[in-house]
Amino acid sequence: MQSLTNRAKPVDRRPMNFMERMYLPAVLKGMSITFSHMFKKAPTVRYPDETRPFSPVFRGLHVLNRDEEGRERCTACGLCAVACPAEAITMEAAERKQGEENLYREEKYAAKYEINMLRCIFCGLCEEACPKDAIYLSETFAPSNFARKGFIYGKKDLLIPDPKTEAADLAKAKGTN
Amino acid sequence: MTIYIDNKPYEAKAGKNLLEACLAAGINLPYFCWHPSLGSVGACRQCAVKVFKDEKDTQGRLVMSCMEGVRDGVRIGVEEATAKAFREQVIEWMMTNHPHDCPVCDEGGSCHLQDMTVMTGHDYRRYHYKKRTYKNQYLGPLINHEMNRCIQCYRCVRYYHDYAGGDDLNVFAAHNHVYFGRDKDGVLQSPFSGNLAEVCPTGVFTDKTLKEHYTRKWDLTMAPSVCTHCSVGCNITAGERYGKLRCVVNRYNEEVNGYFLCDRGRFGYEFVNSENRVTQPLIRGRMSEAVSEEELMHELSVLLSQQKLVGIGSARASLESNFALRQLVGAGNFYAGISETEAYLTRLIVQVMQEGTLHSASLKDIEQADAVIVLGEDVWNTAPMMALAVRQAAMKTAANNAAAQLSLPAWHDAAIKELVQTDKGFLANITVAGSPIDNIAQVTVHAVPDDIARLGFAVAHELSNTLPALANADEKLLQTARQIAAALQQSKHPVIVSGLSCVNSAVIRAAFDIAAALNNTHWKASVAYVLPECNSMGLALMQAPSAERIFDSSNANDMTALILENDLYRYLPQATADAFFSRCSNVIALDSIHNNTTEKAQVLIPAATFAEADGSMVNYEGRTQHYYKVFIPKEGHIKESFHWLNSMRIAKNNRSNGHGLSLDELLHEAEIEMPVFEGVHDAMLSPHYSIHGEHIPREPHRYSGRTAMYANLNVSEQKPLQEEGESAFGFTMEGFKGQPPADAAPFFWSPGWNSGQSVTKYQQEPGGAFKGHIPAVQLFHDKVDKAPVFFKDIPEAFVARKQKWLVLPQYHVLASGELSSYTKALASLLPEACVVLSETDAALLGVRDGDKIRVHPGTTALPVKVHLSLANGVVLISAGLPGTEVYNWGDWVKIEKE
Ligand code: SF4
Ligand code: SF4
Ligand code: SF4
Ligand code: SF4
Ligand code: FES
Repeated sequence: MQSLTNRAKPVDRRPMNFMERMYLPAVLKGMSITFSHMFKKAPTVRYPDETRPFSPVFRGLHVLNRDEEGRERCTACGLCAVACPAEAITMEAAERKQGEENLYREEKYAAKYEINMLRCIFCGLCEEACPKDAIYLSETFAPSNFARKGFIYGKKDLLIPDPKTEAADLAKAKGTN
Repeated sequence: MTIYIDNKPYEAKAGKNLLEACLAAGINLPYFCWHPSLGSVGACRQCAVKVFKDEKDTQGRLVMSCMEGVRDGVRIGVEEATAKAFREQVIEWMMTNHPHDCPVCDEGGSCHLQDMTVMTGHDYRRYHYKKRTYKNQYLGPLINHEMNRCIQCYRCVRYYHDYAGGDDLNVFAAHNHVYFGRDKDGVLQSPFSGNLAEVCPTGVFTDKTLKEHYTRKWDLTMAPSVCTHCSVGCNITAGERYGKLRCVVNRYNEEVNGYFLCDRGRFGYEFVNSENRVTQPLIRGRMSEAVSEEELMHELSVLLSQQKLVGIGSARASLESNFALRQLVGAGNFYAGISETEAYLTRLIVQVMQEGTLHSASLKDIEQADAVIVLGEDVWNTAPMMALAVRQAAMKTAANNAAAQLSLPAWHDAAIKELVQTDKGFLANITVAGSPIDNIAQVTVHAVPDDIARLGFAVAHELSNTLPALANADEKLLQTARQIAAALQQSKHPVIVSGLSCVNSAVIRAAFDIAAALNNTHWKASVAYVLPECNSMGLALMQAPSAERIFDSSNANDMTALILENDLYRYLPQATADAFFSRCSNVIALDSIHNNTTEKAQVLIPAATFAEADGSMVNYEGRTQHYYKVFIPKEGHIKESFHWLNSMRIAKNNRSNGHGLSLDELLHEAEIEMPVFEGVHDAMLSPHYSIHGEHIPREPHRYSGRTAMYANLNVSEQKPLQEEGESAFGFTMEGFKGQPPADAAPFFWSPGWNSGQSVTKYQQEPGGAFKGHIPAVQLFHDKVDKAPVFFKDIPEAFVARKQKWLVLPQYHVLASGELSSYTKALASLLPEACVVLSETDAALLGVRDGDKIRVHPGTTALPVKVHLSLANGVVLISAGLPGTEVYNWGDWVKIEKE
């Protein structure tokens, strides 16, 4: 049979000679590879104290964005939910009342916004669908949890800290402090 | 005739325009200003196509397809490059000023502008400058205004002003800043204002009640339903999410409501979400009143074994529930929960209609009538959509006359309006105290019921002199009668409208006589009798005696009464209702909302509303219509009344292993038991119906959030709702993906057509009948060669009595049915209850507007309102408003100044 690549080597089926049957050189050879690694740089990091940089296209946990003035950007249009292939997003819209202009950017906002992280496949379609730059997939992933309930993310889990009143928190979340 | 669209031959109907022909042929041609009910004006320039002279013509000319009639053999190009480019450009112009706010806009997802923009292919905006902006107006609690979204198609004004006759919405200013709204902020006055939300192709006018709990169309669970707020029975689509009813929109029905609804029907749904709902079985007088179903059934099996069991049926409950009650208590113990007067009058109407000598007029028949006589009925307030149909009759007759003169096609709205000016078709509006349609009537008469009847009999005499003439009639009345008779004799499709408003049997008889006198060998005259509630006709056909008749039986004491979805205090004077309850040792009430009657019940059972139930209702014309569950309430105890009643029937008969009857079994049983109902089961889609073995899904295929909606309660995905027994509909987005049968479509949608205008795809032609065979279940059949039996007993002329007044109900357009007034938005628009008196009577009593008077028998003092054209000797008292008292309508009362 013709091989697919030209890297195939015929198997050597000669019986082993005496030296080979002692296995000592082979063992030493193996040990030398093992010991040589002690002097090389470790490929693992000390997670969670240390983390690796993510690829710029990594899709992790969602955040709901605010604008520069700290107003929620989401207008509860439902486009993310309709785009979601896992049907993992649900929301309820509410009308912004007078005096709430500093809280919500648009006339309508999400009174309730929930993502079922157990269902989410982190495809990022919600981010792509959002016309208001309101939802982003961040560079963190869902921490482990003892209860499944903990994976239902509501607004309070998703909204980023307010840049005006919680600037420090925001910086911390962004990792820029 | 044959027309060629892009070189393919299509059949087209004569008298249509090219746009209609294209849409009927299933071609996607964008349009805005044309509407099947409003005709064409050519305002938006969106529907451009090329028309070619002949096969050889390659150049062609660009025309607005809505402004050009079909001609045999005409060749048009929809896909022509120039036509397409033109259409795309028109959209781009409109979009220059249209805000980029689809995400915020309530119309999004069911927006004609979105659909048409996508259809033209315009997908990128090149205009980057400042947009024109407007100030929005406050238009009341029902309609929201967001003027920036307007594309100047003029549909709103043409609908509101021309079609519905409203005079407080118009177009202002000029150039590129025309403004559609009121002259100043304020509540829209027309009770048909809700249709603006559907007529406007953009999000300028939207449903404000939906805003309170906004949900996109694609996120709603919907089902075909029927309005329960009056006897017209308009077809609606109701939508739910998270266990709350979110909105009601029009469901097209060619014969009934067409494209529109009244505000009571559209906005009166919120009682379903009311906090006042009965959600738990209650047994009063126990330590803990809320009980489980087992405890309830246990208690009921004791109560139901009582000797004197009576059932009170309801005019607002479904046929199935009424029938189940009748079967439970026995036909002899089944009474109608209405007053004796009302029962007598509805029986008279049923008798007249069953004779078959007259045609029972649908709203479509009324719209197409060329002469309408409204005899004594306050249609505007008791059957709003019928008033709108009467208006169309008057407008269309004039339009048809004008169009015939110059052989203009019927769709050419602007030209016809120009020709018609203020002409109207013949309408005689004969009422007690006038009505808003007076202003389009040729003859308006305000008179007391007996005199209205006399006028009717006089007209009948003029039409056929075999009928008796009035004894000692005054000349003015005879003159009016002659005028009406002359107009009727000239008409080809007259319709006589009457009903119970006058609480007078002579009026009903006179209406019959007029119509029957018009019958000739070629056709039957049409008549429409308005009834008080959505299923009044269904209940009347069951021929049950009224609740007041219970007193007739000698041992009417210690009764166990089972009251079905009925607040007796709304139908009977308080004293009568109290007397009834004092004779009951046990009261079991089934209802959805707490009211005065449920207060009296020892056992209260939570009943489903129309949105949570399946059922059939018979409208005023004898048309049986079926409505389907929109959702199953989360409060697991709420069930359709007939379910409860079936279980009780099993418990009562001690059939331990008996199973409840399913809906269609129940209907079949009813048809056997009462042959008048023959065929009613045809009105519903069989529960076993499926298409290729699949359900019809109640949810659009884009329904979102399924795995997340209830995840906060339980992470495991919930089992989809399942009905007891089978159903043609499923509660999920799974199921048959094609176009469902049009009359049972849970919502209208078609690829590329997300808004309600997608209904075109279900019709044979725009504004025409649905595709496929739709069984119309009419319970009254025209009988050929049946000679009418005329009524000949003419009442004496009315004479005002000393110190006594004839008392009549005055309903309000938003609340003549019981349930709509439980809706917050509508309740805020209801006026204060009052007593209407003539000027002379007010002077006699020494009262002025606003003074309080007391009516005897009765308990509450009410403010006076003086009416300039009301006859002396009559009082009109607000009825149907929350908390208003019920009087012995049509009887004599005393009045006393407070
Ligand atoms: S990332 Fe994908 S699966 Fe997850 S919520 Fe967004 S759209 Fe849904
Ligand atoms: S996150 Fe974006 S797409 Fe989702 S509802 Fe909010 S605004 Fe719309
Ligand atoms: S408000 Fe709506 S219906 Fe009226 S002109 Fe503007 S877009 Fe058309
Ligand atoms: S209240 Fe009557 S007229 Fe109005 S939508 Fe309902 S059925 Fe139609
Ligand atoms: S629809 Fe033809 S011009 Fe508007």
